[in-house]
Amino acid sequence: MRLRADTAIMLRIAVRNLFAGRAKTLIIGGIILIGAALVVVGSSLVDSVDRGMRASIQGSLGGHLQVYDERSKDPLALYGGMMGESVLEPIEDFAKVKSVLEQVPNVKQVVPMGIDQAMVATGNQLDVALEKLRQDVRERLGGDHSPELGRRYEAHKAHLRRMIGILREDLAQARVLADPNGPDIKEMIRNADALKRASEGAFWEDFDRAPLDGLEFLENRVAPLAMEAGFTFVRYVGTDLEAFFRAFDRTQVVEGERVPPGHRGILLGKWYAEEWLKLKPARLLDKIKTARDAQGRRIARDEELSRWVREASGQLREVSLQLDPIQAEEAATRLRRALGSEERELPKLLAALFQVNDDNFDRNYRIFYDELAPLLRLYMIRIGDTITIKAPAKSGYMNSVNVKVYGFVQFRGLEQSGLAGVMSLMDLMTFRDLYGYVTREKAAEIARIQQRSGARAVSRENAEAELFGEASGLVGQGTAAAIDDSKLLVPRTEAELQDQQDRSYSQEEIDSGVALNAALILQDPGKLRDTARDVEAATRAAGLHLKVVDWQEASGLVGRFVTLARLILWVAVLIIFLVALVIINNAMVMATLQRVKEIGTMRAIGAQRRFVLAMLLVETVAVGIVFGLVGAVVGVGGLWAIRAAGGIPATNDQLYFFFSGPALLPTLGSTSVAIALAIVIVVSVLSGLYPALLAMRVTPLEAMQAEE
Amino acid sequence: MPPIVQVENVSKIYRLGKTEVPALRDVSLEVHPGEFLSIAGPSGSGKTTLLNLIGCVDTPSRGRVRVDGRDTLELSERALTDLRLHRIGFIFQTFNLVPVLSVFQNVEFPLLLQGGATKTERRDRVMKLLEAVGLHTHARHRPSELSGGQRQRVAVARALVSRPALVLADEPTANLDSATGENIIDLMREMNERDGTTFIFSTHDARVMAHAHAILKLADGRLVGREELPAVVEEAR
Repeated sequence: MRLRADTAIMLRIAVRNLFAGRAKTLIIGGIILIGAALVVVGSSLVDSVDRGMRASIQGSLGGHLQVYDERSKDPLALYGGMMGESVLEPIEDFAKVKSVLEQVPNVKQVVPMGIDQAMVATGNQLDVALEKLRQDVRERLGGDHSPELGRRYEAHKAHLRRMIGILREDLAQARVLADPNGPDIKEMIRNADALKRASEGAFWEDFDRAPLDGLEFLENRVAPLAMEAGFTFVRYVGTDLEAFFRAFDRTQVVEGERVPPGHRGILLGKWYAEEWLKLKPARLLDKIKTARDAQGRRIARDEELSRWVREASGQLREVSLQLDPIQAEEAATRLRRALGSEERELPKLLAALFQVNDDNFDRNYRIFYDELAPLLRLYMIRIGDTITIKAPAKSGYMNSVNVKVYGFVQFRGLEQSGLAGVMSLMDLMTFRDLYGYVTREKAAEIARIQQRSGARAVSRENAEAELFGEASGLVGQGTAAAIDDSKLLVPRTEAELQDQQDRSYSQEEIDSGVALNAALILQDPGKLRDTARDVEAATRAAGLHLKVVDWQEASGLVGRFVTLARLILWVAVLIIFLVALVIINNAMVMATLQRVKEIGTMRAIGAQRRFVLAMLLVETVAVGIVFGLVGAVVGVGGLWAIRAAGGIPATNDQLYFFFSGPALLPTLGSTSVAIALAIVIVVSVLSGLYPALLAMRVTPLEAMQAEE
Repeated sequence: MPPIVQVENVSKIYRLGKTEVPALRDVSLEVHPGEFLSIAGPSGSGKTTLLNLIGCVDTPSRGRVRVDGRDTLELSERALTDLRLHRIGFIFQTFNLVPVLSVFQNVEFPLLLQGGATKTERRDRVMKLLEAVGLHTHARHRPSELSGGQRQRVAVARALVSRPALVLADEPTANLDSATGENIIDLMREMNERDGTTFIFSTHDARVMAHAHAILKLADGRLVGREELPAVVEEAR
């Protein structure tokens, strides 16, 4: 009763005072309102990004937990770090790790991984043309003398001669620019001679008589001179492909097929293929189309789009060079018909096709894909090709492996994201070969070499006796045995390599060997922390040197984005509320000083100090709660408005990944409103405390002062 | 009946920097229930200081003040506040109503602080007092809508609402014209006679002090005499 009666009067006085000082109340309230709205909108946005990223990372590569060797120099960074790929100590025996981790409760799956970058030899236009000619020669030597093959043979020869001509011009230009006394000049002259020979009529007359000799010269002396990029970089994860597809159900093969179970093979990232392997003008057309269709941009009004149009037009030689004379004639015919043009020359027709503007873009885009694309090799690497991948192995040498491309792969929801889409999936055996880790096959090969060369394992303890003791063959035998390299380095035959391509590996073979890290998929992701602790305990008990990190930590810089965004948000919130604190404090101190007499009177009449303290606090807290609530409602409304407007569009690759889709549709964070109100209350209590303490110290004597 | 106020050899010294300013010097007096006293004296004679000591808003430097039998020096701040709330009513020179509360709420305020009374009890008490001071028709008005005399009547009602044993009024008529001032003193006296509430008020207006039972004369911080005014009382009646 007592409490209710004087609390009521306290509230009444507070509210009436607030209304009496409307301007002051509105200023204080406005700041609190903005702060609360910012907290609600900001924390909801960050939470939504957090969810989006969680989905992106967990569904594409991260899983829930990751383990890697704790002795690694760098931390694991699934999406690459600031200084390129992180250097991890290998997990020597993945099978053991797997068996230990699978015993931990709540662990559903353990997926081995090894992430790295390598060079891919893509071949160049000259190689492709040579390959066609070689095919023709083979068929002719096989006894085919049909006029159709004859025409094709001539066309392919002409195509090659044209390319050599262009190459010769390029090289002549390079020679003009080169230092005539430089170290490379001799090499340049030799190359120029080779090209001169290959351009002359006499060479091609000889070619008809002895085509194999001619091909050998072209392949060994001319093809390496082609200056266009013969390789590109690929970022891949070597993994147990079957396990990977089970663990990451966002993974989709968009073209081609999955690598057959247990086989070697690679699935190239779809986005990577588009961005790096696709014919440049075609890729530019695609990008313009996306920009126009999805983002409503227009070539006429957009500097970037018109630059892309110019870029595409500048790279048409890549298109025409691909076409041999027969194909070129066909392409010209098709373009004349589709464009309704009288033009004879293919380059001019191509130029017309790529002279796109907002009016003809959709038509020309269609013409390109319907008429021209079937004649072209759109991607430098095609599905079904066997590609050569090179990477520096652990030993420091370059290792290279051949691996078949089975298809293009992408992660559902992350199709447009470079961060996720650049990733290619490779089988674990190929990864081990490439990275220079000793697979069982390699171990067997080394054993074979050792046996043939007579090498013996020499341990450190008895090295002296072994090498220089009585029994040592080295002592007293001055003549060195001739070592026949060719016998030692057993070259793998085509057949052996083919065998490797075709054979299937058992689960045991896939598991036993090296991996760099492993993703853990949990039954119940909600118990991530507990499971991480369990995993750590289990690995320690098993004597494994593993570091356990969650998906966020494992994703390196990318994973820190949410933390960073959150930090920025809270710094902004902190600043706003610090300002609010100062302003509210000031205003309330002023108000208190104006009310000294009133407060003194209350004290004289019999109000206790704590009544005065509470009365003043109620005033600021009431402002805080009322305007905090309004601010929260404004924030919720703001979120609703953002959703209604279609969300925040992901304008670049990174945002696409963070949003886990083309736009961020923010949802109200479950705790956002509660946090906003809690902050508002804390801030209003803090800012009201000092003036309230001042008021509490007002004595009843103040009431007795005569002057008003 | 024991005296409601006992002042024994009280001195009050204020410090202004290094100089000591004596406001009261060795004052002794007793006030008995039902008295209607005026404290008179020129400005600076110690009237306000004496009232503050009696009203438990201040404590003496030397000597003792007993209110309702309790030594104010021995009471805590909280106990002093409680003593003021339950035993003493205050009427101020500048009225000192809470501007954001209505007339009714201003009078009700001490009851709310006391607690204990129900809403109906509070309403009855407040309305009865407002009627007694002639302002029951102004219950919903804000202080700013009232004249000075009306405000002081509200203050009288507020001072009496908690049924105090003692009401202190420091220059209650100083901000009023003389006719209104005399009306207020008459109102206070009426209350004194009706309920037997003890009143002590200070004034330097000879016409106002003439309404008291007795005048305590202060000069230079000393009590210089007590003048009984039975005749005046008779005359006033």
